[in-house]
Amino acid sequence: MKNRRTTTMFKRLLFISYLLLLCGCKQEKKDPFSNQTSISSTSIRYANGFEIETQSSGITIIKVLKPWANAETTHTYALVPKEIQASVTLNKNEYDAIISTPVENIVVTSTTHIPALEELGVLNNIIGFPDTKYISSKAARERIDSGKIKELGINESLNTEAVLALQPDLIFGFAINDGNSTYETIQRANISVVYNGDWVEETPLGKAEWIKFFAPFFNKTKEADAVFNKIEASYLEAKKLASEAKNKPTVLSGAMFKDVWYLPGGKSWAANFLEDANADYLWSATDENGSLSLSWESVLDVGQHAEYWIGPAQLATYQEMESSSLHYTQFDAFKNRKIFTTANTKGETGGTLYYELGPQRPDLVLKDLIHILHPGLLPNYEPFFFKPLL
Amino acid sequence: MSKKSTYNLHFIALLVVLLLCFIINICLGSVNISFVDTLKALFGTATKDSSSYYIIWEYRLPKAITAILVGGGLSLSGLLMQTLFRNPLAGPYVLGISSGASLGAALLIMGTSLFSGAFTFSTFNDITLAIASSLGSFLVLSLVLVVAAKVKDTMALLIIGLMFGSITAAIVSVLSYFSKAEKLQQYIFWSFGSLGNLSWVQLLIVGLCTIIGIFLSIISIKPLNAFLLGENYAKSLGIGLQKSRYIIIIATGLLAGSITAFAGPIAFVGLAVPHITKQLLLTSDHKIQIPAVLCCGAILMLVCDTIAQLPGSVSVLPINAITSILGAPVVIWLLVRKRKMIF
Repeated sequence: MKNRRTTTMFKRLLFISYLLLLCGCKQEKKDPFSNQTSISSTSIRYANGFEIETQSSGITIIKVLKPWANAETTHTYALVPKEIQASVTLNKNEYDAIISTPVENIVVTSTTHIPALEELGVLNNIIGFPDTKYISSKAARERIDSGKIKELGINESLNTEAVLALQPDLIFGFAINDGNSTYETIQRANISVVYNGDWVEETPLGKAEWIKFFAPFFNKTKEADAVFNKIEASYLEAKKLASEAKNKPTVLSGAMFKDVWYLPGGKSWAANFLEDANADYLWSATDENGSLSLSWESVLDVGQHAEYWIGPAQLATYQEMESSSLHYTQFDAFKNRKIFTTANTKGETGGTLYYELGPQRPDLVLKDLIHILHPGLLPNYEPFFFKPLL
Repeated sequence: MSKKSTYNLHFIALLVVLLLCFIINICLGSVNISFVDTLKALFGTATKDSSSYYIIWEYRLPKAITAILVGGGLSLSGLLMQTLFRNPLAGPYVLGISSGASLGAALLIMGTSLFSGAFTFSTFNDITLAIASSLGSFLVLSLVLVVAAKVKDTMALLIIGLMFGSITAAIVSVLSYFSKAEKLQQYIFWSFGSLGNLSWVQLLIVGLCTIIGIFLSIISIKPLNAFLLGENYAKSLGIGLQKSRYIIIIATGLLAGSITAFAGPIAFVGLAVPHITKQLLLTSDHKIQIPAVLCCGAILMLVCDTIAQLPGSVSVLPINAITSILGAPVVIWLLVRKRKMIF
């Protein structure tokens, strides 16, 4: 009896010490920025979601601060140039991934990643994408048609087996929260996964600046800076032009489903564009950075006499609007035919071009809006995304 | 006081409450419209081009009438099903009506992703959605009727209805898996149910179906009461079981099918209201129960809708969340208080 009790005690002790050992093994991630003398940090002027530092050893450290909304952990990646790989030792526990650069075969997971890579001239490095039908870029479509970009799943959700069979060097993923089992499985197969948080960014130039995040993976930092500086200059010039407009037209946005109206919050990406286009977005005072869901009564109350209606969700024609709800006909913007949408600008396989290219080219989005809201400021400009409703 | 006059008092009280709830529902919403302005708009003395006139006439009034039809119709079909299957857990959707409707809606909204080309609907709006979900529920109901002719046992019919539900749910989940985020969102919102957005024409259709359903229920009062005592007893009373069963199933199909088509699958009301009225009136006689569930269901739905509109705020809540949050405690409280169920 006593003997058995001792055995049980002993087993318990063993178990507890095993647990302690496990806890001891799990080291806290150190801050890799602190123990190295860094020589240069890439200047990020608008984006809040990532930081880049290049250390004296030649290693580049990228921190993704906000891979998804309300993220509590920072993801840290070490980029080691292939030529110095043999002479460098890094503590694996300090990084979420250690990647040798330049990377060759990559998989991207969102259409918003495509334009930046195309600008950097590394479109040919993409070998797979989940649900290729959403991609509109002509160059990328050619590579899909010739089988160089493989189909990896549906709806931007990766098929694990297809990815493992393809064996890319790196995946640019995105996640809406922590705990993504597909990516974990892929990482266990020694394929690096890097989270891109471009979609969390709220400012137009901040989203576009994510081109700088891609650059170090391909040794294209200079090219990225040049591309971004051009976009920035073009954007700021357009913004300045808009600020000179005498009037500030009122704007309504979004559309109804059933009797709930979904429209951009006052701090959202879309609302920021309207702000910079010198328009009076009627919900600009709200604090949401995502979308608002309001009762349609209240939207009628506030927006019935709005001069313009920008972006009525996926509705493409006046007839479609009227047949989906008679309530739309009560708005002045509907009566006066002042509704503009991105739904009619599609790629050859039906992807909405605005979703893919809009984040990368905020200057075009802004010029579209200025052309619509301040006729006369850009008289000869041909709108790119926003076209009148048919 | 005789039993009959007690019931009369009950009904007068129910009707007064119903009228009050109706008026309150029309007066309250996100936009503040004063009681006087509401009355002006209702009785045509307001200017026709004001937004408050439009909100009252084209949104709140149809919504309130929809609430009455949905609440009354679903509660009645719930009562019919509970009696037919002699099962207090049955509701308007046991025959797979809502799963059929869901399948129709899912095929319309999300079918494009699975059958690209073959199933492409150029116009997707509330009318096509209503047609699709009606077709879906009608299809499932027809299957149930065919089975009902073959199977003589009502319990077997209940299981078969549930099986149809499982099959359609499986197809819907496959469709959901393959569809785009915004399509999935549209489908999910449909499944939340919604009382707003019905035009007067759509209301007329639901109204007609509800009236026919009520009429069919009224002519079935005698067999319904007999069903409560068991099928063998009903046979001994000389009631044509098979024919009554058909009539009851068709009435349920009309009520639940038309409502689900236009307002989406509204949860809970159909299951709970018959229990509430039985506890209130302490009888399971269908002559009393039919008008009682119509009134109680309408009252419950009007109250739920008023709360869902969150008067004075610009947000709204999905109606399905409110019906259960409000209704479930009421049923629990009634059953605990009475310590037994009347069935």
